[in-house]
Amino acid sequence: MSTKITVIEQLKNEPKNLGLKALLILGLIGVGILGVVYIDYNGFTEFGLTVMWNISKSIFTPNTALLFGEGKNGVLFLITETAAIAFLGTIIGTIVSIPIAFLSSRNIVPGWMANIGVAFITVIRTFPAVVYGLMFIRVTGPGAFTGVLTLAVASIGMISKLFIEVIEDLDPGIIEALDAAGCNGIQKVQYGIVPQLMGNFASTAIYRFEINVKYATILGMVGAGGIGAPLIFAITAYRWADTGALLIGLIIFVLIVEYGSAKIRKKLATGE
Amino acid sequence: MDKIKKFFLPKPIILSNGKVVQPAMSPMVYVIPILLVMFFYSTSLTGFALGTLINRGSRFFDILVKMFPPNFGYFTKVWTPMVVTLVMSIVGTLAGAAFSIPAAYLSSENMVKSPLLKFIVRSIMSVLRTIPLLVLVILFLNMFGAGAFTGMISLGVFTFTIMTKMFYELIDTCDMGPFEAIESSGASRVKAFWTGIMPQLWGQYISILLYNFEMNIRNAAILGYVGAGGIGILLNDRLGWRAYPEVAMILLVLMLSVYLIESLSRYIRKRLL
Amino acid sequence: MIKFEGVVKTYPNGVQALKGVDLSIEQGEFVCIIGLSGAGKSTLLRSINQMHQITGGKLTVDDVDVSTLKGKELRRFRRNIGMVFQSFNLVKRTTVIKNVLAARVADMPLWKSLLGLYAKQDKIIALEALDQVGILEKAYSRADQLSGGQQQRVALARTVAQQPKIILADEPVASLDPVTSQQVMSDFVKINKTLNITVIANMHHVDIALKYANRIIGVKEGKIVFDGPSLKVTNDILKEIYGRELSDDDLMGA
Repeated sequence: MSTKITVIEQLKNEPKNLGLKALLILGLIGVGILGVVYIDYNGFTEFGLTVMWNISKSIFTPNTALLFGEGKNGVLFLITETAAIAFLGTIIGTIVSIPIAFLSSRNIVPGWMANIGVAFITVIRTFPAVVYGLMFIRVTGPGAFTGVLTLAVASIGMISKLFIEVIEDLDPGIIEALDAAGCNGIQKVQYGIVPQLMGNFASTAIYRFEINVKYATILGMVGAGGIGAPLIFAITAYRWADTGALLIGLIIFVLIVEYGSAKIRKKLATGE
Repeated sequence: MDKIKKFFLPKPIILSNGKVVQPAMSPMVYVIPILLVMFFYSTSLTGFALGTLINRGSRFFDILVKMFPPNFGYFTKVWTPMVVTLVMSIVGTLAGAAFSIPAAYLSSENMVKSPLLKFIVRSIMSVLRTIPLLVLVILFLNMFGAGAFTGMISLGVFTFTIMTKMFYELIDTCDMGPFEAIESSGASRVKAFWTGIMPQLWGQYISILLYNFEMNIRNAAILGYVGAGGIGILLNDRLGWRAYPEVAMILLVLMLSVYLIESLSRYIRKRLL
Repeated sequence: MIKFEGVVKTYPNGVQALKGVDLSIEQGEFVCIIGLSGAGKSTLLRSINQMHQITGGKLTVDDVDVSTLKGKELRRFRRNIGMVFQSFNLVKRTTVIKNVLAARVADMPLWKSLLGLYAKQDKIIALEALDQVGILEKAYSRADQLSGGQQQRVALARTVAQQPKIILADEPVASLDPVTSQQVMSDFVKINKTLNITVIANMHHVDIALKYANRIIGVKEGKIVFDGPSLKVTNDILKEIYGRELSDDDLMGA
């Protein structure tokens, strides 16, 4: 094999990538400068460390009365309430998302309508759940109900977007085949469309449920019910035993949800 | 008991040659009732009532109406907090992302041979991951006082926990070939990781980073609510005063920022893959 | 010099891969190991750089006892042994030169390797290695844009850039077509002769092994049943090594 180029020449040919490197370095410096300008460092309080230490300890010394207690203040009830908020919010959000998604899919409705739908969804998606929470509290007052509404609306953005992807991915071949076999409209939907969608829809909903569980806790802190508010109250009042109990409940609950969600979604993707 | 089971099973199908096929029981049989029960239990628990919704619903539209026209003049007051929010998210995300690389390395089955070490690291990360963002913020408020620095650290830790998981899943499923080759040449595992595995994963890593960045812009907006800097506190303040035209302005600026960031992010991710 | 003395390798699950191997290989030899899959070729090869740890007997390379090496010593030891794999083991998404430069990181301080700060000398070594296998002009192409044969040559260049004394090749041409295999094998021979690097290659295809090696080692059920010049390999000897007649699968057929 003849070498038309020598090692020395090839050394010179090394791509310099100056543009990219410059961009990266400038970017990092820029971010650094912005950080220094806009973010003030107020100094470190050792008190904070004590707080962290206390909280970490509290997990091992929880208030067992609270942890296993019944009644509206018990951890068990609060977790169930949080779960209910997340569950209901997800279900309602999913139900509402279905028509919205269909009306925004290019293979179902004309292009201009799909664009409006997508724009609408994008706007809804922009705002974090807490923003909706703060607004809804002014409408329906504090409490679990508001939490449900907030999560429902907040979920629409993500669920619709994922639904649209699934809908636009529909295999028309199956519908054609059913058509050729002489099926009517309803049968085509039932046997051609629904089976393709169900698995994905369910998976999306479960994924969103997992996210909503985490949001439900945060929403609680702004007053929308669930375990969030009691947790914050306990921390800010330095009631460590209570904090421990609530944290244990929360951590176990989230871990179970993560685990269960992963398992079910895996089964949906591969088994069922 | 058997009779109940038989009731739910679909009828067995008898083929023309006499063979009998028993279709499996559809999971819908138990999934749907469970869902219904959960649904009704949840509605009563949370006090969900369509009636209230319809009645109070008009209030929501009242608010919407009051938001128009937005107070554009308010922009000057919104600008700085928005920039703070943005900077908080950028630095926080980058910091969290940077630390997630070594953490993912230590959590990965492919990299860490000792099951004990892997288990410990993964468990710590799992527990940390369950802590809601706002709880982290409250913790750091106690350490660093109010302000954007707290927000930044909170976002950093939060991102760190999420990205570590996403990243070690990538490491566990990548091609170990180049790693084996470089390790056999006498390089340490860390060097072999950096030159044999990271180059495979950079594209996906940046993709995850951008995804988390998009999420964090939204999360950062909230942090202000508890005093960790940024636009959240302004929003809550204006909402409290029912200054809806100003609220509208804040939301507009937020929307614009998120849209810009997402477009940029989408562009970069397209170029990567 | 590589010396096996009664080497035994028993896996934790009880399988005895090597049942007492005696072997010595001098610097600069070109040896091919043939035998059935599962006969112990791979284990034999990979015990030389301790990718498999032997469980009995003595294995020395230049009077260094391989089984006692660990940590830093092991890494320094491995610097002198290069390895070429059947599946090339390149990083597909990066350039050829970056793949070859990876061979140099073992000698670099950690921070430099993290930032990719290769010295000019390293780059020259890498480029010269690429020149040795005849693909210098592809230095800045992405690895996955190359053909299989070219990729294997990049892998070979990577080992050459390590400047090793020994190169171990585990079925290096098994994934390649006959023509490309011959090109790659000639590269091995060239490197063996010009740089005096010992080459030990496991070969799946007997005809290629016989054509390019001057010494053949036949492994059967964990033992060496033939060790001699390739010219002396007869059909009967092959039958003994493989325990059967050779099939089409065992021949490249070039």
